[in-house]
Amino acid sequence: MNIDILANSEIESVQGEQGYFEVKVRTKARYIDPQACTGCGECAAHCPISAVDVYNQSMGERRAIYIDYAQAVPLSFAIDQEACIGCGLCEKMCLAGAIKYDDAPQQNTLQVGSITLAVGTRTFDPSGLDFLGYGRFPNVVTSAEFERILSASGPYFGHLMRPLDREEPRKIAWLQCVGSRDTNNCGNAYCSSVCCMYAVKEAVIAKEHAGGDLDCAVFYMDMRTYGKDFERYYDQAREEEGVRFIRSRVHTITEVEESGDLELSFVDDAGRMQSEVFNMVVLSVGLETSPQTLELAEKFGLEVTDNRFCRTSTFAPIATSREGITVCGAFQGPKDIPSSVVDAGAAASAVGEALASARFSETRTKEVVPEKNVQGERPSIGVFVCKCGSNIAGVIDVAGVRDYAAKLPFVDYVTDNLYTCSQNTQEDMAEIIHEKNLNRVIVASCSPKTHEPLFQETLTNAGINKYLFSMVNIRNQDSWVHRNNPDLATEKAKDLVRMAVSNVALKEPLEEPELGIHQSALVIGGGISGMTSALSLARQGHDTHLVEQSSALGGQARFLYKTWKGEDIQSHLQELIAAVQAEPGLQVHLQTSVTQVDGFVGNFTSTLDNGEKEQTVTHGVTVMATGAGELEPAEYGYGQDARIKTALELDRLFQTDDPELKSVNTAVFIQCVGSREPERPYCSRVCCTHSIQNALELKTRNPAMNVYVLHRDIRTYGEKENLYNQARQAGVLFIRYNPEDKPVVQPKDGNLTVTVTDPILGRPLEIQTDLLTLATAIVPKRDEQLANFFKISHNDDGFFAERHAKMGPAEFATDGMFLCGLAHYPKSIDESIAQGKAAAGKAITLLAQEVIHSSGEVARVDPMYCSSCGVCVSICPYSAPSFIEEGRFAGKAQINPSLCKGCGLCAASCRSGAISLRGSDNRQIYAMIEAI
Amino acid sequence: MSDWEPKIAAFLCNWCSYGAADLAGVSRMQYPANIRIIRIPCTGAMSPNFILQSLRHGVDGVWVSG
Repeated sequence: MNIDILANSEIESVQGEQGYFEVKVRTKARYIDPQACTGCGECAAHCPISAVDVYNQSMGERRAIYIDYAQAVPLSFAIDQEACIGCGLCEKMCLAGAIKYDDAPQQNTLQVGSITLAVGTRTFDPSGLDFLGYGRFPNVVTSAEFERILSASGPYFGHLMRPLDREEPRKIAWLQCVGSRDTNNCGNAYCSSVCCMYAVKEAVIAKEHAGGDLDCAVFYMDMRTYGKDFERYYDQAREEEGVRFIRSRVHTITEVEESGDLELSFVDDAGRMQSEVFNMVVLSVGLETSPQTLELAEKFGLEVTDNRFCRTSTFAPIATSREGITVCGAFQGPKDIPSSVVDAGAAASAVGEALASARFSETRTKEVVPEKNVQGERPSIGVFVCKCGSNIAGVIDVAGVRDYAAKLPFVDYVTDNLYTCSQNTQEDMAEIIHEKNLNRVIVASCSPKTHEPLFQETLTNAGINKYLFSMVNIRNQDSWVHRNNPDLATEKAKDLVRMAVSNVALKEPLEEPELGIHQSALVIGGGISGMTSALSLARQGHDTHLVEQSSALGGQARFLYKTWKGEDIQSHLQELIAAVQAEPGLQVHLQTSVTQVDGFVGNFTSTLDNGEKEQTVTHGVTVMATGAGELEPAEYGYGQDARIKTALELDRLFQTDDPELKSVNTAVFIQCVGSREPERPYCSRVCCTHSIQNALELKTRNPAMNVYVLHRDIRTYGEKENLYNQARQAGVLFIRYNPEDKPVVQPKDGNLTVTVTDPILGRPLEIQTDLLTLATAIVPKRDEQLANFFKISHNDDGFFAERHAKMGPAEFATDGMFLCGLAHYPKSIDESIAQGKAAAGKAITLLAQEVIHSSGEVARVDPMYCSSCGVCVSICPYSAPSFIEEGRFAGKAQINPSLCKGCGLCAASCRSGAISLRGSDNRQIYAMIEAI
Repeated sequence: MSDWEPKIAAFLCNWCSYGAADLAGVSRMQYPANIRIIRIPCTGAMSPNFILQSLRHGVDGVWVSG
């Protein structure tokens, strides 16, 4: 309601400043009125002109009148003016009258307070790289094309085939770093961050699609699976799925004559020339900023980096160079979905902070129609059968279904509509409900997944409880899929309507429990992400308590020296701490721990204990920013020689400009100390960049110093790859080691010797060093008590488990709980700051509602039947059930409707039959079964 | 018996399989009209009783997907 979508539009100009921008937007002609278009697709079914399907990476065809893809928002067709011949057929077919041949571009001027750029990225076009043969050899495809090949809505309907002859491939090769980490051929020096992981995923899914025999090989330079649970996925692909990983850059692809197979020539790890034939090759193309985006950036007056991404700083990762304009997603830097979602939340929160004084000034709210009490009334059902133009009526005998419905019990009104979802039918429907005194409604039309909320709103507008509604899917799951059997399709529609009538007659009005949201927040953990989150919440007007266990704010950032961009961390940290301390409404509790928590979303009560006194605070939301620590290594002689240090210990030497550094002539770094090991099978994400940053710092201080980095894969993802390039140019030596043959550290006779097998020479190399830095793992805190208090969980590695790995990275599955920083997973400072803001942003979307209505379709316990077995309490993923503590039913289960998601798991698991799922209880399901 | 057709009750999870059945429609995939879909909030809500009841009421097959 508060979001206007201007699709098909471009920015023409931007003027003004934060708080007062004037944006000119040009909306291109669509030739279809999106308000009238119902998305039924009748027009496309009759359009005689085909055009290239850009959505399917040009591998298929679509009509000249088209919709980008099935889930497009808004769900409205458009005419491709370049392909359209103007035959007028669609105009004749469109019963909704949505076709507008005389549509013209429109210009709008918007007055906005701030602007967020989420303009995205494009994939690299490998046509120019002739040695790969893309464009010449049909069986060489890009990874984006391969995604569509794997997709059920793709050009081959998800059947794994190669383009040349539609044969199923038996051997597929993936080539990494096409258009990334390559200054010779394309000028994209950076790492695209996402390709390693998507290549592993594509290989695993291809194997799933093809069955076990498919041979998948990934040719790579460094395998960069640095994200949460990514390393595990890589291990699984290699060890269990049998995907082959070959460390080599393929220099030439040639096509094998006649077969269309592809011969790959490469040098293997041992330096031997090899060639192997594959049926198909996938190029893992990188991400890059398009010229259009650069043009836009110029229009906005924004600075971009040498790699053509939007310039931001570590401490304001979503702020562009122009105040009031924020950036999120892959224009900020190449990144994957979770990072983009985090950025988006951060951008929203940053906008909220900037516009806090104008908050709620232009919010639109809905008018509430009083609800009629129909409890105890005899069911009086109205059935509305939709023709959906001819989408349904072209196959199903709609009048027959309508007349059939009229004879069913309790049905007092039937009709059919051309488009039940159209605005005027909605108004008519509300009128009819009122006039005929209906108390139950059925719509037989498309899918409830897309249209149920719309019809429920109509019920609400007619003063009827929205749960007294049932939808029958006679389009997506009937007319569209039984096109050639109109009789059977009609019979099925009648059956489905009969089932719905039996069901809806038993439905009862459901209440949506109202819950007030306490307007304050608790943030646990005073590191960078916790402070950022707390500051953001307070700046948007919410009283915030920031709890820190130790005696000082700052967390792990206190031990760090410089960012990879060369920014001084301590001065920025001090600024942040000062801002936190100066912020009114933000209360810092040092040396404090949380000792008791009661309540749930909107109404938590926590006891804070600082050793001297206890304090109780009430808060609507909680942000977990409890951080993580540095592993104390048990290998490589750590603790036996003062010259062996952890990465943080080296940072401390830099911070204090320790004279010890002056006597260092040789320095060695060992990577993956405690990470990517069987007992800790995750990548700590930041250590490669950190070590290289420190290697360069040593080189800057003493250019004659010999610096070695012993690693397994260098994972300087994104623009951090620049640092890796700089380090090599500065003469830092990178030597790869195998986990089976780790470097050996021997402190003896006053010397410190590191022995490592050089992969190129194949022989052990002895390095006498003055300094050995171990890039130790980041280890989670795993605080079971806090997790129990707030009913949140950890993953196998001990990091907190977020709501959704991709779409919910800054929140928990438990309502009212949010997370950020190292407690979620190892990450850099800019990523911690973005997630801190994102957690605040997410929390504020909840706080801003002030009162929430949870769904009426929740589980309910009849305590008379409950046997107190506790199955529901232990099985619920949302911690909604608990035991009643006192009173007549003490010991019996109860379900908190505010936490219940209505999945019904408890209802199905209840041994005593005490739990029922409101809106979908057993009686209603049985009624449908009986009516089949 | 040659024109006998089975009737199949399909219990589909609202969040995955039900959406997939919708997508099959959007993609205009064709399949036999013997299936009667019952949308359930989650396959976690699937009770063995639903299967038994379906068979008792003359359904020839039950499909649970989620």
